This record gives sequence, structure tokens and C-alpha cells, in this order.
Amino acid sequence: MRRCPFLFARHCGRGRFPRDMAARALAQCVRSLARPSARLHPGAAVVGPAGSSWRRFAALSCGQRTRPAERARVQVRPPLAPPSRRYGDLPPLTLQSIGDRVMYVLKLYDKISPEKLQTSSHFMKDLGLDSLDQVEIIMAMEDEFGFEIPDAEAERLMTPHDIVQYIANKKDVYE
Amino acid sequence: MAASKLPAAAFTLKQFLQRQKVIGLYRNMLRTIRDVPDDADRQYLRDWARGEFKRNKNATSQDAIRMMITQANMHLEELKKSLALAKS
Repeated sequence: MRRCPFLFARHCGRGRFPRDMAARALAQCVRSLARPSARLHPGAAVVGPAGSSWRRFAALSCGQRTRPAERARVQVRPPLAPPSRRYGDLPPLTLQSIGDRVMYVLKLYDKISPEKLQTSSHFMKDLGLDSLDQVEIIMAMEDEFGFEIPDAEAERLMTPHDIVQYIANKKDVYE
Repeated sequence: MAASKLPAAAFTLKQFLQRQKVIGLYRNMLRTIRDVPDDADRQYLRDWARGEFKRNKNATSQDAIRMMITQANMHLEELKKSLALAKS
């Protein structure tokens, strides 16, 4: 028995164009319902003598074979845009540039006074931040460099130098 | 020198675990808030989360902290749900 387009739509709802797909399936279903000379699928014997309306609906929408012409019409769809990938032309990271960016982010952070900031200064001991601030700093680094730092490792990054080293390791930057 | 390396005011294991939990929660919260589409809303939520955590940062009673963790988890779930709704 042919799959109900509704079901189809629900299963494929997470596809590339879920809304578009659902709308198409819905339109197809409605169109097949609206046709007066709806042929029933041979196996669709569910319409009993009682012929309750919802059962007929189920038989119609699920057991209906689409006419070839209609199927052809349904399958003509606007061509999808080819998946394009745009490569960013970033300058290669160096230890120097990573360090500069890290320091820049830290200087923007409102609780750090830029005068006190050194590459070796400990966030909690030297700069007087607490663990929540440290979490925020690590999140800011994630935003800046565009990758996620796992929790276990985020806890160990306590100085700007640690962060630079960690990012350099992750991005395969060596001197 | 066989003296303990621990400072005098070290956490007990339970306190330590709870601390990890709170920090993890804060991180989760910020990660979730990062997905909020609107700039102003994101900033507002970030300030809100930060404010709430800072407001209670001197709490010491373990039970109170546990309740706050539960509450924060509820807020987090709610936020995630609303975000999922807004996206769909």
C-alpha cells in the first residue's frame, strides 16, 4: 500500500526544505481527495458497509495511487540551488596573531583592567576574577576563534598564555 | 615536608562536585543563550544569567544551592524549549 503523503511529510520534515515538502505533500493529498472519480486501491477494503467518513478518508488518502500524469506534474520542481561552499580566505594563524586576538578579547572584557593584564597573569589570583568570569572568558574565546572548548579543558585555562597554547595546539600552529 | 598540599579552606568532595555542577550549568546557560537570534535579547539574557549567578555566589548552604541548581535547570529547559519553538 502506498504511503500516506501526510506520513511521508512528517517523516521527511527534517529534510532540506521541510516546509516546502510538507506543503507539496499536502497539496497532493487534497488534490487527490477533491477528485470525484477517486479510484480505491484494490487492497483498500477498509471501507466497510458502515462507511464512516474518517475511514473513507483514510482509504482515500492512504490507498490512493497517483495518476502518472499527476505524478509527473508533482515531480517537476524548481531546481534546487547547487550547494555552494565559500571558503574564507583567512590569513594563517600564528602564535603571534593568536596571542594578539586573545589579548584583544581580554581587554574588551569589562572586569579586567587592561593595565594589569599580562600574558602570564592568573585570572583568579592576579586579576581578581571568579570562576564564573573565567567561564565567560572561555566562552568569549570560543566566539572569537569559532570552535568549542570542552568543559574539562576549559577549566584548566587560567592564564592568557594557557589559552594561546591551547588554541595553537588545537589549530595545529607550531613555531 | 609531608604537609598536605591542600589549603586550609579546601572544599569537601561534595562541595567541589556542587561547584562543578554550578559552573557547568552556567556554561550550558551561556551556550543556550548564544543561540538567541536577537542581539538585544541575547544581551539581556546574558546579563540576567550573570546577575542571578552572581547574586547567589556567596550562598554556602548545600541545600539552598541544590534548590537553586534545580531552579536554574528548570529555567534552562524552558529557555531551550522556547528557542526550539522559535526556530521551528
